[in-house]
Amino acid sequence: MSTLTREGRAAGESRAQPRSGDRLSDQHDQQPPDEGATPPGGRPDDAALEEMGNPHHGRAVKDAAARVVMWGAFGAVIVPLVWILYTVVSHGVNLLLSSTWWTNNQRNINSGDTGGGARHAIEGTLMMAGVTAVIAVPIGILTAVYLVEYGRGPLARAISFTVDILSGIPSIVAALFVYAVWVTTFGIERSGFAAALSLVLLMIPVIVRSTEAMLLLVPNELREAAYALGVPKWVTVVKVVLRTAFSGIVTGVLLGLARIMGETAPLLILAPYTKNFQRDLLHGNFPTLPMMINQDRGDIGFATAAERMWGAALTLILLVLLLNVIGRVIARAGSAKT
Amino acid sequence: MSATRTTVRSAFGVLALSGALLLSSCASENNTPGGSADNASQAGSTGNTGNTGNTDCFSGNLKAEGSSAQKNAIDEAISVFQTKCADATIDYNPSGSGSGIKQFIAKQVDFAGSDSALKTVAVDGLVEADDAAKACGSPAWNLPMVTGPIAVAYNVAGVDKLVLNAEVTAQIFDGRITTWNDPAIAKLNAGVKLPATPIKVYFRSDDSGTTENFTKYLKSAAPDAWSYETGKKWTGKGEGKEKSAGVATAVKGQDGGITYVELSYARQNRLQMAQIDTGSGPVVLNAESVGKTVATAKPTGSGNDLALKIDYATQESGAYPIILVTYEVVCSTYADPAQGAKVKAFLTTFASDAVQGQLEELGYAPLPTAVASKVQTAVKAIS
Repeated sequence: MSTLTREGRAAGESRAQPRSGDRLSDQHDQQPPDEGATPPGGRPDDAALEEMGNPHHGRAVKDAAARVVMWGAFGAVIVPLVWILYTVVSHGVNLLLSSTWWTNNQRNINSGDTGGGARHAIEGTLMMAGVTAVIAVPIGILTAVYLVEYGRGPLARAISFTVDILSGIPSIVAALFVYAVWVTTFGIERSGFAAALSLVLLMIPVIVRSTEAMLLLVPNELREAAYALGVPKWVTVVKVVLRTAFSGIVTGVLLGLARIMGETAPLLILAPYTKNFQRDLLHGNFPTLPMMINQDRGDIGFATAAERMWGAALTLILLVLLLNVIGRVIARAGSAKT
Repeated sequence: MSATRTTVRSAFGVLALSGALLLSSCASENNTPGGSADNASQAGSTGNTGNTGNTDCFSGNLKAEGSSAQKNAIDEAISVFQTKCADATIDYNPSGSGSGIKQFIAKQVDFAGSDSALKTVAVDGLVEADDAAKACGSPAWNLPMVTGPIAVAYNVAGVDKLVLNAEVTAQIFDGRITTWNDPAIAKLNAGVKLPATPIKVYFRSDDSGTTENFTKYLKSAAPDAWSYETGKKWTGKGEGKEKSAGVATAVKGQDGGITYVELSYARQNRLQMAQIDTGSGPVVLNAESVGKTVATAKPTGSGNDLALKIDYATQESGAYPIILVTYEVVCSTYADPAQGAKVKAFLTTFASDAVQGQLEELGYAPLPTAVASKVQTAVKAIS
C-alpha cells in the first residue's frame, strides 16, 4: 500500500520550483555572452536602444526587478520578525531565567514589586487550549470528514458556507456572542470555560478547512482499493483516509491551537485575570498569559511590570513554539509508511 | 503498521508526560514580594505592618472589578489581606468604573470599584442605583474608600514648573489654547520660558471616573470656559487613549502633551505636574494640599450609603482642588450570606487605619477621620 502523504507532495513541489527557477537564471546568465550585449555601463544610447529592441535584454531587466522585489518582500517580512523576536527576548529573558518564574504565581506581587512567576498563567493557557482542543478537534475533523466523504447536495453546501462565515468572524464578535448567551441570557458567571467556548468558535473553522484540504489530497485509488477488498465505507474512512491524512490533520490542529493561544479579546470579555492559581475552569477568574501581558501593560510605568510583560510575552512565544515542535514529532511519527 | 502505531503511542506518551510534569505539584504560592528595583518610582508593597484590626479570614474567592484609579490602593489592601489569610483569593480587575458597575449589575462581581457614586437619576434610560439594587435584592451602598488627586500632567521640554488655573485648563482641554506660549498661559507663568510647541491633549477613551471628576472640576471651577456636560465620557477635544496607563504613556512620549491622570500614574511615568491656582495662589499637588480639600468634602447620602461631595471650586489657600473619591459599590445584604461575610471581611481590612495609612506613599490620600469612621460603621453593617 503506497501512501503518498501531503508532506511528500508538498516537498516534491517545493523542490521542483527552485529547480525551474535555477534553470531560468542559468539561461539568463548564459545569454549576455551569446548575444554579445554591451557590458553594463557602456554606451547609454546603445543600451537604451537595445533594451527596447532586444527582448532578451528586457527579460533580464524584468528578472532583476522581480528579484529585487522578491528579496524586498522577503526582507519586509523577516525584518519585523527578527526585530520582534530580538525585542521580546532581550527584554524578557532575564525573568525566564529567574528561579521562581516557572514555579510561582503572582499572588501578593503588586505592580511595583519584583518576584513571583508565571506558572499560573502558563497552566491556565495550556488548560484553556486543551479544553478548547478537546471540544473543537472532534467537531472540526468530523465536519471535514462529512464534507469530503459523505456530504452531497444542499446540506453540505450550507455547512461549507457556514464554516466560511465562521472563519471570517472576528474574535471579539465570537466573545460577545458567548457573553450574550452565557452571561446575559443564562446569567452564568464569566469563567475560563466560557472563554474556551468562544475559542472553540474560532478554532473549528481552522480545523475544518485544513482537515478538508488534507482529506481531498488522499488519492481516490486508495478508497477504491479498500472498497474492492470489501471494506465498509466507515472503516475505509477511519483506517485508510484519516490515517493517510494524519500528519496533515495534526498540523492543522496545531495551527488552530497556535491561533487561539495568543487570542486576547475573548479573555478580556469572558475570563478576567487572576494572580492566583486557578484550576477550576467553571468558577472564578482565570489566569492566562495574554491577560498577564495585558495586566502588566497597564502598569508599564513600573520597570518591574514592564519586565513581567516581556517575560510573559516570551513565555507565550516559547509555548507556541514548543507546541509546534511536539506537533512535528507526532506528525512525523504518524506519517511513517508501512 | 504496528511499528507506526507504537511510535504514535510513544509520541502521545511523551506529550502526556510533559503535561503531567508541568502540572505536577511543585507549584508554589509562597511569594515574598521584592521591593521595586526602580527606586525612583513609588515604593512597592510595604508588607503587613500595623494593626489592621481583627481579620475574619475566609477561604474561597472574592471578585471585584472597576476603577483603575484605585487599582494600586486595592492591590495593597489585597496583599495585606491575603498575607494574613492564605486560603483567600481576591481578584480586582481594573477595567474602569463604567465597566465595574455594569458587571456588578450583571452579578458578575461581588463588589465594584467606582470613581463616582451610583447615579440616582436616569442616564440613557437607566438608573444605576435602581439596577444595582435589583441585582442585589437590597439597596446598594456606596462606600468611599480611597481619595486620590488627579494630576494635570504635562511634558514640555524645558518647562519644569507650570501654573494653570481652571479657566486656562478648560481652554487647553477644549482646544481653544493651542500652543504652549499662548499669552493666557504666559500670564500665569511669569519668568518661565514657554516654547511655541503645539499643545497635544490626551483624554481617556474608555468610560472613566477620572474623566467625570475632572470635568466636574472644570465645570464648577470654570463654568464660563467649560460648556460641556460632565460625565464618564470625554466631550472635550484631543486624542483618546485607553486607561490611565494609556494617557500617561502617551504624554510621556509626546513633547507638548498634556493630560489628566491619577497621581500614582503620573509618578510612575515621571511626568511633570502643573500647579493649580485656585485664586489664592498656585498650589502644588502633595498629600497636605490634597488633605485640605478632602477635609472639606461633605458626606451626602443617607444612612450607610455614603457619598462624598467635593467642593471643586474651593478657594481655600493651599488646597489642591482636583481630586476624586473612589467608592466600593456593595450590596447592603448579599443574597448569599457567605459572600456578604467575605466582602465584609475584606473591606474591614481595606478601611482599617493601618491600610489607609499605607496608601499615602502610593499616591493616594487617606480618608478624613470623620468619614473613615462612618465607612467602618457601614462596612460592619454589610450582611
